Amino acid sequence: MDPNDDQQRLDERAKRQEWRHALDRSADLRAAGDPTDPTAVAATPPPPPAAPAPDPLAAVEPAPFGAAAAVPAPPASAAEPDPVALAQPLAQPAHVADPADLVLAARGLRVAFSGNEILHGVDLDAPRGGVLALVGPSGCGKTTLLRSINRLTELAPTATIGGQILFDGADVYAGGTDLNLLRRRVGMVFQQPNPFPMTIFDNVAFAIREQAKRRPSRGELMPQVADVLQRAGLWDEVKDNLDRNALSLSGGQQQRLCIARTLAANPEVILMDEPCSALDPRSTARIEELIVQLAGSLTIVIVTHNLAQAKRIADYAAYLLNGDLIEQGIAQQVFEDPANQSTRDFVAGMFG
Amino acid sequence: MPVRLSDRIGVGIAYVAGTILIVAVAVIMLWLIVQGLGTISWDFLTGEPAPGTLEQGVSGGILPAIVGTFLVVAFGMAVAFPLGLGVAIFLTEYRQPAWLAKGTDTAIDLIFGVPSIVFALFGLAIFSQGWLSFISNPVGDTGMATAQSFFCSSLMMALIGLPPVVRSSQAAILGVPDQQREAAYALGKGRLTTIRRIVVPGARPGIATGIVLGVGRIAGDTAIVWILLGGAVLQAPPDGWYLPWNLMDFLRSEGSTLTTYIFFSSPAGEGNSPGPAYGAAFVLMVVILIVNIALIRLSRRKIGKR
Repeated sequence: MDPNDDQQRLDERAKRQEWRHALDRSADLRAAGDPTDPTAVAATPPPPPAAPAPDPLAAVEPAPFGAAAAVPAPPASAAEPDPVALAQPLAQPAHVADPADLVLAARGLRVAFSGNEILHGVDLDAPRGGVLALVGPSGCGKTTLLRSINRLTELAPTATIGGQILFDGADVYAGGTDLNLLRRRVGMVFQQPNPFPMTIFDNVAFAIREQAKRRPSRGELMPQVADVLQRAGLWDEVKDNLDRNALSLSGGQQQRLCIARTLAANPEVILMDEPCSALDPRSTARIEELIVQLAGSLTIVIVTHNLAQAKRIADYAAYLLNGDLIEQGIAQQVFEDPANQSTRDFVAGMFG
Repeated sequence: MPVRLSDRIGVGIAYVAGTILIVAVAVIMLWLIVQGLGTISWDFLTGEPAPGTLEQGVSGGILPAIVGTFLVVAFGMAVAFPLGLGVAIFLTEYRQPAWLAKGTDTAIDLIFGVPSIVFALFGLAIFSQGWLSFISNPVGDTGMATAQSFFCSSLMMALIGLPPVVRSSQAAILGVPDQQREAAYALGKGRLTTIRRIVVPGARPGIATGIVLGVGRIAGDTAIVWILLGGAVLQAPPDGWYLPWNLMDFLRSEGSTLTTYIFFSSPAGEGNSPGPAYGAAFVLMVVILIVNIALIRLSRRKIGKR
């Protein structure tokens, strides 16, 4: 290996860390400012236009906190009942009235590793469509909650899991659940980009190939591979060398490849576990853009340490602390006018 | 250079140890080359052993021995490799039930530690039973089998080739990052698909190392060959042994490998012709070296184009 290569990689890593720290600092500064800081509001993008649920953010914007009675009527196009009911007690499905609108829900979810309980009975609601951000300080159980949704938690032999996770109304922990089907319908993107040591093409094709009975040829797979690479915003960068080793891509490209790979399984929900924490700001921005785009056609549940990022991309937010879900609801509500003192302290950057 | 005295001493010891090793290997190789190269000729490599070896220079060739080594290695590894890889996958990816995993672990260690002549003796006891005479030959009408054939020796060779395959593969499989397994599971892949498409390909170089070590052990073993293949090097192989339709007969018959040839023709054996012994030793070394390099080369995957 060329020693210059190593040096370059080290330099890059150092730079990346600097950037990350700068990003964290700016996030902290932002969070520490006035919660009604207009820049923070501006940073929250409107929810994707193609979201199947009636636009919840638009409906809630004029309503001050606690003024549930003043919630405007839902848009005429929506046949569902009032999607917003803010005055309900904490940790209740405060933002979605109709359970049919929930694509995912945790009910009394308890997870323990070697008897050490990480989640103490969590009730989470993930409305269909849009981005749900799980936020909270380190060790609060966000990632465990996320990994329990597609049943990766149980890969650890010491894990014990109680309660329910409802996906489209059906408990994924019920007996007879087809795990492989569940994990195709609920895809996952990890913290560290983890492409397989194969070519770019094979990485994407892997998701499609093995679920087909017959091994499809490259020509048959190409349209699908090209499609998901396009949706992941990577096509233009890799279309000329699909046979390159995926590990030769940059970190940000690798993460977009992982998203493409996940999309290839045709999921309804994508779980993301701090997908940008190993990336530089520019790659982070691209992934965030992509997340918002994808949330137009599917549901994204993202764990993030980065409050600024959550504010930028989330439509809904849930705040966890020490294994309890403290508050959840419309993102703007949670971030700017939270009901709970602990949430207020957290979003104000007082800890976490 | 380190500054502290204790560090200097440590580095010094490391240098000396490394140098001693290199010198020892170089001396052995040079000795073999000097002594063996003179014997090696086309006739030596392609001829059959001559009836009398008491006089140096008329001991004939080593072709049957070379073929014998290849056969024993190939058949031994044909059993040891799939079995060893399977055991390694069981020990790393499944480990259930725990008692079976523990037992397997101990068994592998035992096989690794026991000298091959013990297995050879055990094999003799088993394969000499009459009903197993189809893998060797019956002994007259005694109801016993000779227990000396390529089949018999290969089966026992598989046993001594197994532990290196298991241990190397195990280490390599453990080295495949869990993130890749998780990535495959998260794409809705089952355990078997994940093992087949992600874990084993990722462990390929380590698995190849295991095969190389196993091949070395089998090709270098003398005790099993002597007891289960026959010590009569100079007994000429059956007429037309190289013809394909005589293959079964040949595999059921006695034979020799390079190691037994070396033993037999060395001054310690009956032959007392060190020249051919060195020549055969040199050939054995080259054969193993070629197999090593070929396997390591093959196992290195080059992913895609640059």
